[in-house]
Amino acid sequence: MTDRTIAVDYLARVEGEGSLRLRLEGGKAKEVELRIFEPPRFFEALLRGRSYLEAPDITARICGICPVAYQMSACHALERALGLRVVGPLRDLRRLLYCGEWIESHALHIYLLHAPDFLGYPDAIRMAKDHRATVETGLALKQAGNAILELLGGREIHPINVRVGGFYRVPPREELETLLPTLEAALGAAERTVRFASGLPFPRVEEAYEFVALRHPEEYPMNEGELVSSEGLVLPQERFEEAFEEVQVPYSHALQARRRGGGAYLVGPLARFALNHDRLPPKTRRVVEEIGLEPVVRNPYRSIVVRAVEVMLACEEAIRLIRGYAPPERPHVDPPGELAGASGAAVTEAPRGILFHRYEIGNDGLIRAARIVPPTSQNQARIEEDLRHLVDARPDRTDRELTDACERAIRNHDPCISCATHFLRLEVERA
Amino acid sequence: MHEERLFRDLRAKMIAIAEVEGVHRIAGARLWVGALAHVSEARLRSAWPAIVEGTPAEGSRLDVELSSDLADPRAQGIVLASVEVPRESYLAGGAGGD
Repeated sequence: MTDRTIAVDYLARVEGEGSLRLRLEGGKAKEVELRIFEPPRFFEALLRGRSYLEAPDITARICGICPVAYQMSACHALERALGLRVVGPLRDLRRLLYCGEWIESHALHIYLLHAPDFLGYPDAIRMAKDHRATVETGLALKQAGNAILELLGGREIHPINVRVGGFYRVPPREELETLLPTLEAALGAAERTVRFASGLPFPRVEEAYEFVALRHPEEYPMNEGELVSSEGLVLPQERFEEAFEEVQVPYSHALQARRRGGGAYLVGPLARFALNHDRLPPKTRRVVEEIGLEPVVRNPYRSIVVRAVEVMLACEEAIRLIRGYAPPERPHVDPPGELAGASGAAVTEAPRGILFHRYEIGNDGLIRAARIVPPTSQNQARIEEDLRHLVDARPDRTDRELTDACERAIRNHDPCISCATHFLRLEVERA
Repeated sequence: MHEERLFRDLRAKMIAIAEVEGVHRIAGARLWVGALAHVSEARLRSAWPAIVEGTPAEGSRLDVELSSDLADPRAQGIVLASVEVPRESYLAGGAGGD
């Protein structure tokens, strides 16, 4: 008998470099500071002087989980600057690619990061020991999303087939149809995920969020739509900067976003669902009605249910798009031969919420200025408010209990820093 | 700082694997290191004893496979590919032999 080799294939992760400082006075949270130490990455600066055609591939590198979102916002912003319109099958293929990203990103968060919180495990590895089938369902869903990215994007992570005006190559119909058996199975798994998530035990919490998302006249928003909020904002998406601003806080490298003249707001699945629940495709709508999910969910812990609903709608949409697909004559719309200096901005719905890009390009086609506002920085101020309410509700918790509770509260919003199961260093001052 | 976080994650994964597999000792680990990973083989090897100190993998052997494929989608990553469990570990109440 020989020694045993156990194949694991775990990608080692750099844990999110954040800490949380709480200052409690008289049993109330006086100061709540979520500190992000990730060094600034200077993407906006390194885009300057590069060809506008490079922007989708450069910005895709910002995130390994949601590179498609960066590619889509970059393409839409630059196409607006160039006066290009991408319609028909090319538009459908982009939506299909986004479906793939929503499926893989949400499945990762639901099963590997969020579900262990509700089932009482420190991480998915330990959860898999008792709930193997559950974790396997999550992995199968993630693989289905990745299959779309690989076929349409050229590879699973950081796709290489997206360009301003469309794609470098588009698949023939029969190639796209090879995804259908996988996606049909994924649709069933997604429905089971919705039912599984809705049956989890949730703390009773209601938050008074201002929700912000895109809204499209006909479909659940991904690439297009107006900016709307639950407080009545309606604005063309390219005018994002008129309604929102980023501010520097002294304790964090990450900028925080706020409503101009207002406060914190929330983007992501809870916001999208609250503002677009009447845009669900039919099968998903039926399941949402069957589980009795209310149209506006204000309990952040129940974001796992809404995220599951979005996985199901993305599977349903992906199948619909593939069945209706007829390849375009050309894989992309050509940009104008002579460029006049121009600027353009766009917002698309990344899995974690709205993602804003703005570019200014010169006559030479080089980028003069770029601005990117990702969803995690938009949610950061609102996450701090969640934490403040959490601490105020039970200030008698021990530091260990506070750390666990705060990590859970942060994971509800799937910020990029939540990739690590345990990421918080908690500093508590009690006066 | 990135390296410290990475090593802390590797350490946590070794402990979790031992717990899940029900073994009290891990004899070796194999790491796949992408061509663009932000850590060197020398740094990994020198840090390994400290990474696994006090865990079931203390004193374990480290095998490192360096990838040169810049186009690999995981080129920036480091993968804990497998761990080796000595026979006596799983005979003493572990997950069983194969």
